Amino acid sequence: MGKTVLIVDDSNTMRKIVSRSLRQAGIEFDEILEAGDGQEALAVLADNSVDVVLSDINMPNMNGLEFLKAKSEDDAIAGIPVVMISTETGADIINEAKSYGAKGAIKKPFTPDLINETLGPLL
Amino acid sequence: MEFTNKIINSTEEIFNTMVFMPISAGKPLSEETEVLDCHVSSMIGLSGDFTSMLSIHCPGKVGMGITGEMLGMDVEEVDDDVKDTLGEIANMVAGGLKESFASEDIRLELSIPTTVTGKSYTVSSPTKSNRVIVPFDLESGRFFVEIKYSLN
Repeated sequence: MGKTVLIVDDSNTMRKIVSRSLRQAGIEFDEILEAGDGQEALAVLADNSVDVVLSDINMPNMNGLEFLKAKSEDDAIAGIPVVMISTETGADIINEAKSYGAKGAIKKPFTPDLINETLGPLL
Repeated sequence: MEFTNKIINSTEEIFNTMVFMPISAGKPLSEETEVLDCHVSSMIGLSGDFTSMLSIHCPGKVGMGITGEMLGMDVEEVDDDVKDTLGEIANMVAGGLKESFASEDIRLELSIPTTVTGKSYTVSSPTKSNRVIVPFDLESGRFFVEIKYSLN
């Protein structure tokens, strides 16, 4: 069965760039799902089988940390690994993200190689 | 407070890493005297140990060129992709500044970026405001990264 990734970012452009970087990194997914904020991401996870989530932090409505917290409280989706992709990669924020279960963080701007190094071990 | 080198380093990192367009930073413009003839501007606030607004201003043609390179496709008009791309670049430049200031124990938080477009509007600044504008040259033209700030 093929792998599915969910990209969460309020920027449509950044979602396209992340998709392109995944291809450039040589990571093939059968399906790439998208969400514009944490609330949309929770809805996508409720209706789809997702292998890994790449999520921004700084988003309107429900930000990345609020999304992680809500996800960690839902046993049905709590085990899906999440990697943060954000300009916000200060130690305080990353430690908070990891306390809610984030498996790693990628700082914007990023290279396809960095995506590969961070995401590869989770797949 | 030093802004110019932080703006140059952060902007060059983005273009070297994600845009793949050669850029060269020009001499920072002097405040009070400059009127920028641009069509697209993205702005993002930084607040904390000081308050500031970082903006990117560019002609539509330059914005379309940058967007096309980042997305790997042809861009024919200043559409939502262009506005979104410039907003993301403003977000990343501001993120670089935030990280750089954090290493000096200066704390800042970012807002959500906003992009506006128009026809040949100008960007000006009140006299004696704290303002730094750095021009960057691309093959297709010039864009500007500006920061206005007030110390708390």
